[in-house]
Amino acid sequence: MFSSLSPITHGVTLYLDGQPLAANRGESVAACLLRAGVAYNRLTPVSGTPRLPYCMIGHCFDCLVEIDGVGNQQACLTIVHDGMQVRRQNGAASAVEDPTP
Amino acid sequence: MTHSPTTPPMNADVIIVGCGPSGMAAAVELATAGCSVLVMDMQPAPGGQIFRNLEANTRGRNPGSKSVLAALGPSYRAGVALIERFRACKGIDYRSQTTVWEVRPDGTVGWLRGMEAGYVRAPCVLLAHGAMERPAPFPGWTLPGVMTAGAVQTLLKAGNLKPSGNIVLAGTGPLLLLLATQLCHLGVKPALIGRTDNFSHSLKAMRHLRGGGLSPVIKGVGWLARLKAKGVRTVSGLTHLAAEGARKVEAVSFAAGGRRERLPCDLLIVHDGIVPAIDIPNGAGLALQWDQTNASWRPHTTTDGLATPALPPELEPDHCAIRITGDARRIGGADAAMAHGRLAAQAILAEQGKGSGITPQHRKAVRKALSVRPFLDTAFPPGLSASLPDDATIVCRCEELSAGTLRAKIHAGFNNMDALRGETRCGMGPCQGRNCMVSAARLIMEAHNTSGPVPPTFRGRPPIRPLPLGALASLTGLDPRATELLTLEDKPEHDQEDKAHDPAE
Repeated sequence: MFSSLSPITHGVTLYLDGQPLAANRGESVAACLLRAGVAYNRLTPVSGTPRLPYCMIGHCFDCLVEIDGVGNQQACLTIVHDGMQVRRQNGAASAVEDPTP
Repeated sequence: MTHSPTTPPMNADVIIVGCGPSGMAAAVELATAGCSVLVMDMQPAPGGQIFRNLEANTRGRNPGSKSVLAALGPSYRAGVALIERFRACKGIDYRSQTTVWEVRPDGTVGWLRGMEAGYVRAPCVLLAHGAMERPAPFPGWTLPGVMTAGAVQTLLKAGNLKPSGNIVLAGTGPLLLLLATQLCHLGVKPALIGRTDNFSHSLKAMRHLRGGGLSPVIKGVGWLARLKAKGVRTVSGLTHLAAEGARKVEAVSFAAGGRRERLPCDLLIVHDGIVPAIDIPNGAGLALQWDQTNASWRPHTTTDGLATPALPPELEPDHCAIRITGDARRIGGADAAMAHGRLAAQAILAEQGKGSGITPQHRKAVRKALSVRPFLDTAFPPGLSASLPDDATIVCRCEELSAGTLRAKIHAGFNNMDALRGETRCGMGPCQGRNCMVSAARLIMEAHNTSGPVPPTFRGRPPIRPLPLGALASLTGLDPRATELLTLEDKPEHDQEDKAHDPAE
């Protein structure tokens, strides 16, 4: 759906669901995930359908992901940093943490 | 900065929310006159959406900057001087990546940065938080691969990304055509531009042409000529837009010229014009008015941007500290935003006994920049949202509520905004009604069978953006003297929901 205008040169590495991903310094998490071609940022809590960013300026809240352990972060408003841990959200979070690794 | 035993200390002379053209222009004007100014903005760098990431792109920090600058053209580079002046001003305390989750008419602002949050206060708050793209529900608009024109432009400016594959643009407005020409410049040829506006709109718009407003029109004609030269297919009078696909958009269908058509599609870019973002004014309990021409709410303000509180009498402040400027007040584009930002700044300075006052030149600049609006409003009326969606279409993206579900509840008696929200959760999801509010109001109107002003908005309540519990627990700037009087009197059952907003002047 999207391709880079130019290759990443002095990038940072973030981790998407544990897998390393290169990102341009200063870009948003949402832009990085779109470049990687992910199928979704989150599955909705209501019906489990996939969502990707819609507005990219903080109004639609469809780009929500877990960042460094904090859920429901707006990926379009969060700037990448080296070693950032990003997790996609699969439906509603459970109140109790899943004990299985 | 003074503080008596009854008033909490002030953090600045003026707090500005938003760092786009209007916010920057106002900040420079205020700081130059000796005011201390605190500017809060969600983005990592000044510029707003129009000049997004301009500093980094002009410094060539991003690898694709050169091609981005060439594709975006002079209207993007036009922001460089203002950003430089803003950066050079000594009296400006600029706080980037800062979210505002509450504004009160007394001049209190709640902010969040990372996991830090607090309150700051000033005798005047200037809201310069800008606009959003008009929400336009249509079948399939929640599918991955459906994005707004603004979103794609943001990815160009700040994501070093260009779209690829089968691209369809649909909707109306200058931004749709501008984006199409920018994509062509980058070697990306859209499969189709489907315009909801048609020739009769353009013809009607001609009578609004004025000398001062000609240059944007000339620009537009240039874009159309370039698209034609590139061989981009364009249809006008598009209706019945639908995105189709199971887990992502795979095809787009529409009607135009009396024919139904279906095209393969990887990215559907939609745009139905822009409207003032009312989340902050609505959350602050400020009066809004329905703007019939633009089918949107906008804050009720004086020409100098002074807002009007619409709170219950016991919560009403003695003096409203809030002014609103730029596209957040009235859609006018970057030039109008800068001109009004300067005017609003002079109004604030006059109040504080500083500055040279508002001159006829200030007012003339605003009028001139806005003079093209009647033409644009007539040439590009709302299209994708012109008629209300069918029953199966999702209206509330967050809670996945269809128009049919909402219609049934409205007919069952939940026929005012807050009752509908309470019953269905429409507007209670993470976006807090930003995308469904106007559709919900129009569905209520449809049930009442009226064509008058639409009902009021959902009642806004802070925090208007998510505030992590950890940040809330360590809130700074709390002041017992500023404790808000709590009352149950403003619960929906005490509300006069039937009282519609006054029509626009």
